[in-house]
Amino acid sequence: MSVTVFHYVFLATVLFSIGAYGLLSSRNAVRMLMSIELMLNAANINLVAFSSYLGNLSGQAFAAFTIAIAAAEAGVGMAILLALYRNFRTVNLREIKELRW
Amino acid sequence: MIEQAWLIPLFPVISFLIILLFGKRMKEGGGYVAVAFVGLSMLVSLLTIRDVFSVGRYESEGISWLGSEAFRFGFLIDPLAAVMLFVVSFVGFLIVVYSLGYMHGDPGVQRYYAEISLFIASMLALIIANNLVFLFISWELVGLCSYLLIGFWYRKPSAASAAKKAFLVTRVGDIMLLAGILVLYAKFGTLNLSELFELAPSAAPATLTLASLLLFGGAVGKSAQFPLHVWLPDAMEGPTTVSALIHAATMVKAGVYLVARAYPLFTPESLFVVAWIGGITALMAATMAVVMTDLKRVIAYSTVSHLGFMTLALGVGGYAAGVFHLLNHSFFKALLFLSAGAVIHAVHSQDIRDMGGLWKRMPITGTAFFIGAWSLSGLPPWSGFWSKDDILAAVYGYSTPLFIIAAFAALLSAVYISRLFFIVFTGKESEAVKHAHEAPRVMTVPLMILSLGALFSGFVRFAGFEEFVLNTLPAELAEHFAAHEGGHGFVMSLSIALAALGIVLTGITYYKPVLSAEKIRTTFKPLHTLLIDRYYLDHIYLFFATKVVKDTSTVINAIDAYFIDGLVNGIGKATAKAGEVMRRIQTGITQDYASWLLLGASLLLIIARLTGGAA
Repeated sequence: MSVTVFHYVFLATVLFSIGAYGLLSSRNAVRMLMSIELMLNAANINLVAFSSYLGNLSGQAFAAFTIAIAAAEAGVGMAILLALYRNFRTVNLREIKELRW
Repeated sequence: MIEQAWLIPLFPVISFLIILLFGKRMKEGGGYVAVAFVGLSMLVSLLTIRDVFSVGRYESEGISWLGSEAFRFGFLIDPLAAVMLFVVSFVGFLIVVYSLGYMHGDPGVQRYYAEISLFIASMLALIIANNLVFLFISWELVGLCSYLLIGFWYRKPSAASAAKKAFLVTRVGDIMLLAGILVLYAKFGTLNLSELFELAPSAAPATLTLASLLLFGGAVGKSAQFPLHVWLPDAMEGPTTVSALIHAATMVKAGVYLVARAYPLFTPESLFVVAWIGGITALMAATMAVVMTDLKRVIAYSTVSHLGFMTLALGVGGYAAGVFHLLNHSFFKALLFLSAGAVIHAVHSQDIRDMGGLWKRMPITGTAFFIGAWSLSGLPPWSGFWSKDDILAAVYGYSTPLFIIAAFAALLSAVYISRLFFIVFTGKESEAVKHAHEAPRVMTVPLMILSLGALFSGFVRFAGFEEFVLNTLPAELAEHFAAHEGGHGFVMSLSIALAALGIVLTGITYYKPVLSAEKIRTTFKPLHTLLIDRYYLDHIYLFFATKVVKDTSTVINAIDAYFIDGLVNGIGKATAKAGEVMRRIQTGITQDYASWLLLGASLLLIIARLTGGAA
């Protein structure tokens, strides 16, 4: 059984679902960031898979951009988390509700 | 000097500004400044008038306001404007001089001179305006000054309310004037008077009738014609100089002047209305003047009556006669008011029942009053006789009922003015009169000059006044109206006989009491009550204002307070309530936002799948 595009899409779906689950269920902000990374990479897999399947390179170019942006996002996210931690002595986002009504 | 005529209103404006800013620190509150600048303005007016005799008519290019050709304001000097300029600047100057004596020592004297300067400036601007909007602006300014000066002693409740009354009643007329101007602009697309006169003959008569009647509505308010005459007698609450200047000699003439100015716009139909309103006013006011006991009020009703005469004259086509009476009336009425002012100054009362035998105490004032009264009564040979005779002659050829009305009003003129003279200056000296003494020189000299005017202004009739004034009108109109004029033997003898009869009747009642005034009063009790209560017109207006307007307002107010406000407040409350509910969505918990995000994205995907649009 050879590896078809279907397998890639399936892998991506699984990864995305794990990411979404992690994002919604975890209380720790670091884990939430990691879950977001998973979802992003699921999208990347999709892009590369379809790029290879359709013989069009723009999908891979997109994936390269996404990786760069994901790195930047992770950096900014971690910086915000550090600042949050300094202020609240916790990274549990359920306890940080300052912007609530 | 005619090309520099714009200087005429400018001088009093300068005086107004100077007195407004520095008057407090000046002698007499800046009275001398006012005299100087109004004097300069009179000088320029006289030089301009001299040029009118040679040039005839001059219209300036003007300055366009707001970049609109409809608002191109310039000045127009023609014989009519010249007559009016002469009256306003000359009488105005004399009255400002007289004020130096009359207003001496009043705490608000600075305000007085500032307002009177502004008034003279706006009145002069009104006269020379060549554009209806320019005229309207000046018209409103003189109305404002009239309001301010009637309420000059604003701490007195009666003065404050008289000022308000004058302002509100004339406002009714002003709105009509504005409507008239709008109609003219909509029809002709210009507001320049000369252009309007050129275009007028080609317009539909119905439009012209409407527009001219609306303009006349403005005149009715300003010139205190029936049924808007009620403000003028109350306006006597102001200083007597104000009554003389604004409410006898100049501002109240603005209405008559407007009719004369816009004369080519009037159709026979609207002139018919003008004539009847004038006739009714002349008679009604004269009857009321006969019974009043307040010195100034009698003269005020007499003013209303004579304004009615002028309107009547213009209405029946006696153009020159109306303008002629305007000129003469300014002199003898200003004279009467100023001598009445001197009397009030000396006696400290306005009620003629407190007066009597003043002749010996105040010979100069008495003589001045006598001359004014003689001129007004219509006995020859002084000014009032000639113009009244011209008016009666013009009316005689127009309509018999109107002629009877006018003749009766003329008879009453003689009655009320001689009654005033007999009661105030002859007879037994009363208590209040004992301490009276003659007015100071600064007040008597203007009286003497005005007396000369009242005596001799009538003789300009023989120096070609009629042709001079008729030059104002376009040639064919002038010819048409010239035909109406000219002395009439029957009318002249009737007018003399009526005046004499009036004076004799009053004489045997008040001077040598053959008839008892008391008895006449009781015999005609209902009539007397009707006249003293001013035909109940004030009552009707008051009822209208307090009942009808107020009740309607109450209803409308209730609708506003409960319905409109309820609606607006309801919307506000509903929004606040909705916000109260909706803000619960903002939990502040990051996962909730993420869930909503995912849910939304999934929903979009599902919708796209179902509709098949996304693929």
